[in-house]
Amino acid sequence: MTTDTWIVGCAEARSALSRQDVSITEFAWEAIEPALEAAGTRLADIEGGVTASQDFWDGRTISSMSVNEIAGGTFRSEAKIASDACLGLGYALARVQDGDQRLNVVVAHAKESQADAHTVELAAFDPYFERALDPDDTVVCAFQAQQLYARGTFTPEHAARVVAAARRRSSFLEEVTVQDVLGAPPTADPLRELDRAPLVDAASAIVICDGETADKLGRPRVRLAGAASRTSAYWTQRDDLCDAIAAAAAMDDALELAGWRASDLDAIEINAPFAHQHLIVGAALGLGEADALVARFEGDGEGAELNVSGGWLGGSAGTVAGLHSVVSLVKRLRDRGGRALVHSTSGIAAQSHHVVLLEAAR
Amino acid sequence: MSPINPVRTAIVAAGQTDFGRRFDASMAELCREAIDRCLESRNLSFDDIDAVCAGNMEMFEGIYMVDQLFVGALGALGKPVYKLNTGGTVGASTALAAYHLVASGRHKRVLGVGFQKQTEGSTQSAITTVGDPVWERAVMAGAIGNFASMASTYISMSGVTQEQAAKVAVKARKNACLNPHAQLKMPDITVEQVLESPMLAYPIHQLDFCPASDGACAVVMAAEDVAADLADHPAWVHAVATAHDQQYMGDQPARLAVMRSLQAASKKAYALAGIDDPVQDFDVAEIYEPATYAELAWYENLQFCEMGKGGEAIDSGLTLMDGELPVNPSGGVLSANAVGATAMVRVAEAALQVMGEAGEHQIDGVNRALATGYGGNAWTDVMILSRERPRPSAEVSR
Repeated sequence: MTTDTWIVGCAEARSALSRQDVSITEFAWEAIEPALEAAGTRLADIEGGVTASQDFWDGRTISSMSVNEIAGGTFRSEAKIASDACLGLGYALARVQDGDQRLNVVVAHAKESQADAHTVELAAFDPYFERALDPDDTVVCAFQAQQLYARGTFTPEHAARVVAAARRRSSFLEEVTVQDVLGAPPTADPLRELDRAPLVDAASAIVICDGETADKLGRPRVRLAGAASRTSAYWTQRDDLCDAIAAAAAMDDALELAGWRASDLDAIEINAPFAHQHLIVGAALGLGEADALVARFEGDGEGAELNVSGGWLGGSAGTVAGLHSVVSLVKRLRDRGGRALVHSTSGIAAQSHHVVLLEAAR
Repeated sequence: MSPINPVRTAIVAAGQTDFGRRFDASMAELCREAIDRCLESRNLSFDDIDAVCAGNMEMFEGIYMVDQLFVGALGALGKPVYKLNTGGTVGASTALAAYHLVASGRHKRVLGVGFQKQTEGSTQSAITTVGDPVWERAVMAGAIGNFASMASTYISMSGVTQEQAAKVAVKARKNACLNPHAQLKMPDITVEQVLESPMLAYPIHQLDFCPASDGACAVVMAAEDVAADLADHPAWVHAVATAHDQQYMGDQPARLAVMRSLQAASKKAYALAGIDDPVQDFDVAEIYEPATYAELAWYENLQFCEMGKGGEAIDSGLTLMDGELPVNPSGGVLSANAVGATAMVRVAEAALQVMGEAGEHQIDGVNRALATGYGGNAWTDVMILSRERPRPSAEVSR
């Protein structure tokens, strides 16, 4: 047995601001069925699933029950990670690497249209000392953005350019201009409505397997070369909300695991719910500062391509965003080959950072 | 990329809080109480831990992303924290995740923590959301109705009596008297007392059912090259397995009296660990029994006895502390149930038995132990632990 683990199929449900036409189960199946088909396999052959979803957004304890039976879980194994799907993908990778499962489906779903974001996010705050202030992620991320802009390296216009670039690459969101972003209604100073990724209904699925199974299936494959994650302190215990030490450390961990250097990467995806967080993470990952970094988001810079999928800002959902980027890059790597890194975040003010590495022969 | 074989993995430390109505501690403090007891038992500190797996049912206390809020209490600062959220099984699912992260070669030492503080939320309300909002929630609220339906079906199918079920309650609460962490310790409990306790939902009396507890549990999974240095007798993981039934209760035959997921998971785990005769091959079992009738039915589904013979098994004394296969010497779920911790307690108690560190409820000469977790969707986790190391490169979890 080797550590080589392969992505042999992937697909996504049709994302939209609202998919009221389908149940969560139907919605996730929209992603899983074509992923299985692309892999040349069927649900009956799946040995287990790892799912990513959040009870609070679904309004259902054990939210994975909605997708369990379509993720190979009936009389087999399904395990649910309540975080971004990149963390789930890291767990699924471990289960292939230790021989537990040869053929696994990883699926993430979120129907953000069905929940009230403020109510859900409020529940993430300390119930005794914070909730009475009625905060949510936008409020804390506004503090974060204030800290960032006060330093002078980045400006709201940089963040607006990241939003505009992401919208140009979106498959379903309307394009916006920098002026649109800067002139959008304010939410919490200095943030405006368009600084935040819109709430979206999204579901993504991939099929992963060990090398022997990939050989049998004989489909185009992309190697899942590594995964890592790091968690920062809770937001009130962070002196500097703009540090992304955890993002850099997660990238370093993953690169070390794969035996790669950062310069080996041909494509990078950064996922965070707010535009200014892309600036923070991009700088932490060593992708540049100020105009140089933003130019890479716009497709004009040198080095690895950055957020070619549009990422979370281009239309995905919390929990799903990382896997959305994985699906996008898998398709790209199949065509071009190369090495890629997907980053995603979870938690208030991007507390946790998750990274996965992908590779395909050129 | 160099090849990595599955790493032989063991539980080397376990700790738990005292369970009960813990108004003296916050949920974060409960986590820390369990973690400190776990780590201090082996002179470990947070610096020795590579990653943390956290299990909790968030909607019970109403804290979203509780792993992020409690990152300090969990010792997860700067580390990967895997948040699992799988229902009643979550403690076992968390232990399984810790196992896989070590067995895959990703990490050397992983801390698993399961926790819940039911006095600070509405468990019944949260569990009700498990059901389909259109078809189930109005008629199957919470856990008690679920098990009342199961018990009625089980009585009809097997002829098990209320007296036989009450014997399970007596066994559990007497065993609990030997467990310093248990909540319901009733040294003088009788079958009559159980049968005379208030009826919750026919045929479930109050003493037939588990309490709602506050508490936490922690275990450390370690890779082979460090495990032997951490514990004199590590509890080696020989098999893990998970299985589910269909999403809706109505699609599950016999309302869990025939628990197909438990049969599937245990069959797989037994095959991996070479278990031919569970009663002979296991020295102790810690199983997740939210209700007395469930324990009897689980005996059958785990092949401790023939199908339909669960009542006779308890009558025979098979599963008493001095029986051929002691079941739940800790007092089980019937004596303490902090949901996020409960299935991990089964794993921890099985590990303590294997390590010879279970204290007054230690069973003599334990070599091999079984732990199970149960939850919504008939979610079943199974783990088999032993004093003996698995065979090299054994595919212990396939």
